[in-house]
Amino acid sequence: MATPEQPITARSARLPSPIRALLVVALLYAFLVGVKMLESGIKGIGSDYTDPLFASVSNPLAGLFVGILATVLVQSSSVTTATIVGLVASGVVGVEAAVPMIMGANIGTTVTNTLVSLTNARRSEQFRLAFTAATMHDFFNVLVVIILLPLEILTGFLHASASWIAGLFVEGNLGGTFDSPIKAAVSWSAKLAEGGIESVVSTPVAVAIVTIAVAIGVIFVTLTFITKNMRALVADRIEASLNAVLAKSGTIGIVVGMLVTIAVQSSSITTSILIPLVASGLLMVRNAYPITLGANIGTTVTALLAAMAAGSVDGLTIAFTHTLFNVLGILLVYPWPRLRYIPVLLAERLANMAVRSKSLALAYTFGMFVVIPFLGILVLT
Amino acid sequence: MVMAFFRGRGESTLDEVKGTLVSMLADGRTVFDAATDAVFGGGKSKQTKQTVRSTDQEINTAQQRVRRSLMMHSAVTTVDLPAVLAYMSIVKDAERIGDYAKNMYDLAKYGANFELAEDHDELLSYRDAVGQLIDDAAATFASQDQTQAQKLIDKADRFLTDYDQKIKAAFRSEGTADQAVARALYYRYLKRITAHIMNMLTAIVMPIERLDYYDEAPEDR
Repeated sequence: MATPEQPITARSARLPSPIRALLVVALLYAFLVGVKMLESGIKGIGSDYTDPLFASVSNPLAGLFVGILATVLVQSSSVTTATIVGLVASGVVGVEAAVPMIMGANIGTTVTNTLVSLTNARRSEQFRLAFTAATMHDFFNVLVVIILLPLEILTGFLHASASWIAGLFVEGNLGGTFDSPIKAAVSWSAKLAEGGIESVVSTPVAVAIVTIAVAIGVIFVTLTFITKNMRALVADRIEASLNAVLAKSGTIGIVVGMLVTIAVQSSSITTSILIPLVASGLLMVRNAYPITLGANIGTTVTALLAAMAAGSVDGLTIAFTHTLFNVLGILLVYPWPRLRYIPVLLAERLANMAVRSKSLALAYTFGMFVVIPFLGILVLT
Repeated sequence: MVMAFFRGRGESTLDEVKGTLVSMLADGRTVFDAATDAVFGGGKSKQTKQTVRSTDQEINTAQQRVRRSLMMHSAVTTVDLPAVLAYMSIVKDAERIGDYAKNMYDLAKYGANFELAEDHDELLSYRDAVGQLIDDAAATFASQDQTQAQKLIDKADRFLTDYDQKIKAAFRSEGTADQAVARALYYRYLKRITAHIMNMLTAIVMPIERLDYYDEAPEDR
């Protein structure tokens, strides 16, 4: 038996951290170029085509379901929210219409950890814990949407507040633009890429469609690799911070969840990391809960970055709406003991039923994330 | 706690786990020495019992800490899966050394005493050899030196054959039953400790599917 080149107990070969960090910067730049291209691609199609296409999402519930389904399909709320920022920045979708889509993205992103929890289905106790940890995120996000969406439809307070916050950072009114160093840095590359597409495709509409397709591809691929590389880059820090909150509950967990998610640019990664920890009994469900909520806030950074590249006040407003919605959601539910654990209690009940009937877990996941949003879109548009 | 995220941990989880295993071996040596001292004339005493118990408890706690760290590490990153599986297996070996040393102390509790035995020097030489083997294994595990690990495995392998012969001899001996039982168990425990050390060392020189296979007879490997 030949001796392996290195002991199996050794760390696997890794890309040196400085190189990985440079790679992340390059990927982040490409991601922002993608957002800029998406915005100009949508503008290039022209309102004759886009207005009828997006008119349907002026129904808030339809917008909500579009947000859920789009996020489920791409398995990333960051991709969905960056795309929504691009749509809003281009003026095709209004801020008001985009708010329910953003809320939908929040719900849709929880499908990933729910799917991860299903991998424990063969062991009842582990599955009960894992499914509870996953679905408490679903219940929390749905609960917050139930509270805030009607309020937003009636008063528009969410996007109005976000608009006010955006005004603190940039000059200009809704519908206007602003200059940012990020926008300046990515515009040149975006134009270069669009020039390349123009040299291959002839008609303006075709150029715009190809630009949109390339942009969405770039956003998706770059975010995937940013997440992957950041996860490797900060793995030790994630472990250190999660170890520190294993036996703790409360605000500290929210902050840790937020930091980890900002670092890896994906709430799904953060919440999916929690599932095996909860299933193995290392982390209590109630200690995982605040970390999950923190992930909701952390994930909004991607849309804010995208808005800085787009350079549109509307884009920045919808990005801040995303942040505000998640912060408000936590403030509405978490500080009040009677409200705080409702999502956990509901998740525990569902998990207990799911343990008795695994097909219920599958039906819930498929129904919640695919059937309901799909039927909702069909009926409402 | 939040600062833990910004500070990081200074060393990787796997390095930390390796360090814990090395300290588990050092603790194993402490229990082993205390227990065998009892068999070689020290007899049972409150102090020895306390040393054996508390050190074994530290070993058990360290094992749980290692498992927690490995679970956390595998949840965050999957690239080190072979190392995580290997450590999950060998941390058990490190823990078992303490258990067998504790069993050795039980021999003294039941009345075994080799202090004035005819074969005292021979019994003692194996105790010293195993003690040295634990120390050498700890150093080799810390350095992850594959050549040294292989040398130690070969050396320990020869001990296993010796122990089997000693156990057979105890069965056939014409001495009293308590003498035979004490020797059979003594060599049995030395054999198990040696085998667990070998299991740990295989992680340095063998692919993962061959972990633990050095305590079988050569023809069965």
